[in-house]
Amino acid sequence: MTTQTALRGTMPVPRRSLGTAITKLLRRPQFWFGFLILLPILAWYIVFSFGPLLRAFWMSTVQYDLLNPADSKFVGLRNFQQVFSYPLFWIAVQRTITFALYVYVGTLPLAIFVSLCLVAVSRGRSFYQFVLYLPVVVSYVAVALLFRMLMDPQTGQFNQILTALGLPRSLWITGPNSALPAIAMIDIWKGLGFHVIIITAGLLGIPEEMYDAAKVDGAGAWHRFRFVTLPLLGNTLLLESVIIVMGTLQAFTNGEVIGCAGDSCMWISRLVYTEAFTNMRFGFATASAFVLFVFILGLTVVQMRALKPDWQY
Amino acid sequence: MQKSVALSAAPARPLSFDWVMRFLPHVVLLILTFTSVMPFVWMFLGSFKTYIEITSSRALLPVSWTLDNYIQITQRIGFARAFLNTTMVAVSITFATLLTSSLAGYVFAKYRFWGRERLFTVLLSTMMVPFAVVLVPLYVTVANLGLADKLIGIVITSLCSTFGIFLMRQFMETIPNDLIDAGRIDGAGEWWIFSRVVLPLAKAPLSALAVFTFLGTWDSFLWPLVVLTSPENQTLPLVLAGLRNLYWSRYELYAAGSMLTVLPVMILYAIASKQFVRGIAMTGIKG
Repeated sequence: MTTQTALRGTMPVPRRSLGTAITKLLRRPQFWFGFLILLPILAWYIVFSFGPLLRAFWMSTVQYDLLNPADSKFVGLRNFQQVFSYPLFWIAVQRTITFALYVYVGTLPLAIFVSLCLVAVSRGRSFYQFVLYLPVVVSYVAVALLFRMLMDPQTGQFNQILTALGLPRSLWITGPNSALPAIAMIDIWKGLGFHVIIITAGLLGIPEEMYDAAKVDGAGAWHRFRFVTLPLLGNTLLLESVIIVMGTLQAFTNGEVIGCAGDSCMWISRLVYTEAFTNMRFGFATASAFVLFVFILGLTVVQMRALKPDWQY
Repeated sequence: MQKSVALSAAPARPLSFDWVMRFLPHVVLLILTFTSVMPFVWMFLGSFKTYIEITSSRALLPVSWTLDNYIQITQRIGFARAFLNTTMVAVSITFATLLTSSLAGYVFAKYRFWGRERLFTVLLSTMMVPFAVVLVPLYVTVANLGLADKLIGIVITSLCSTFGIFLMRQFMETIPNDLIDAGRIDGAGEWWIFSRVVLPLAKAPLSALAVFTFLGTWDSFLWPLVVLTSPENQTLPLVLAGLRNLYWSRYELYAAGSMLTVLPVMILYAIASKQFVRGIAMTGIKG
């Protein structure tokens, strides 16, 4: 009774009690279909996504007992303290950020430039896209082994080319100073095609009239790029920026497989893996992963603030 | 390369800015084509060279072509087994992802229910979590289910894809409601509408997602590295990475192993490249 009167004012639809509303809902086939789909999917998310995330929170605050996890001792923030006082962690932080910077600075301008070239050609665009994308689809392990061969200081093709050009040879991944730039170069090579395709799609989405209007106003090629293309590409560039930062800060495979000089490509993800599965320090590993998480989250928010365009077309 | 020759060989015509602008992109793109393909050429040719040749000779082509590397790699290391494992994992994950993504994407796009947007945001936010954070707890979950060192342990953790649900929802929203309502008025069941009306319309994003997922699974390394420990359960990237510890600096074996890992992917990509490029563009355009 009370539900009826309460509903009368707000809903123009026929008056009904909560009970009939529920039976009516249960009789709708859409309800059952949606329910039967979402239920297992949500169950999966709870077990394999939210659950592990919660367990990660717990794990980072205990001294994880491998044999009897339920007995793990609560240690509060001590895992984090240990992480911050672990010298290798700070080395990993420095390596990860330097690597990310190299890849970011190398990828973004190059990808924009190549995309401009792709948009400018009318013939063979799909051929170029196809070829540029080849490095993206292949296994990173294969790429790492391949570049290990190419970058070998004694027998590698890269040093042969340098010698042929009369340039000094490099130690590439085996040199303590050249390892990080060299491995960043591989990452740029492998990822370029992916970024080019996203930026090209963004470029092709800019309405032609914008350029016509700029031309009428007497804008040259550079001005059209600077004041039409770049601003209108804002959303795409923001997406790109976030993708590159997230991807590079989580880099793992290349450094793990290629084997750099010393700890020159000991990234945070690799530290997490080693601490967890070689040293069996689950709490410590997860705590350091959380530090990475917070860092990535912060950087993403900063990028959203700084790069988000404030207009739409 | 040819283009630059053509450029310099055209003195009769004044070298205008337009001319440069027409050919410069091609020159840039041809250089990038070269740098993209050349490493694979080295890999391909290197896989037919002997150890002595690959470490001493400067020639691009092998002096004497040999299949020894491939024979050695398939006989001594379980490459065939790894190939089978990888195929099984990749195929099952691809099918599962297509099914769950299209169904969930459809429900999120076309059904109205309480808390829909909030739930979707929560699902999407899982994409922000670095894999390293859940690496250990996810492994513990899989181990508790008794699935450590089993291929099913890889498959079960990849049954749903947040990215896939997002992609399919984006697409399903463009399907007109009238189409679905017409089916309902005619008395069609929800499953019938989904499988006969909605799915056929979603062929383009589905095929893009299929290629994406298959290649991603085929190449995935970190998670299989953690879960699959015994040699007979390993996937191709794991076996390939293991080569580095087994044979130090035996580049001709690396090259042969890489060829075997990369070739199926390249063939698939050559067949499906159109869907692939379209799929990435689809996710990128909206930002």
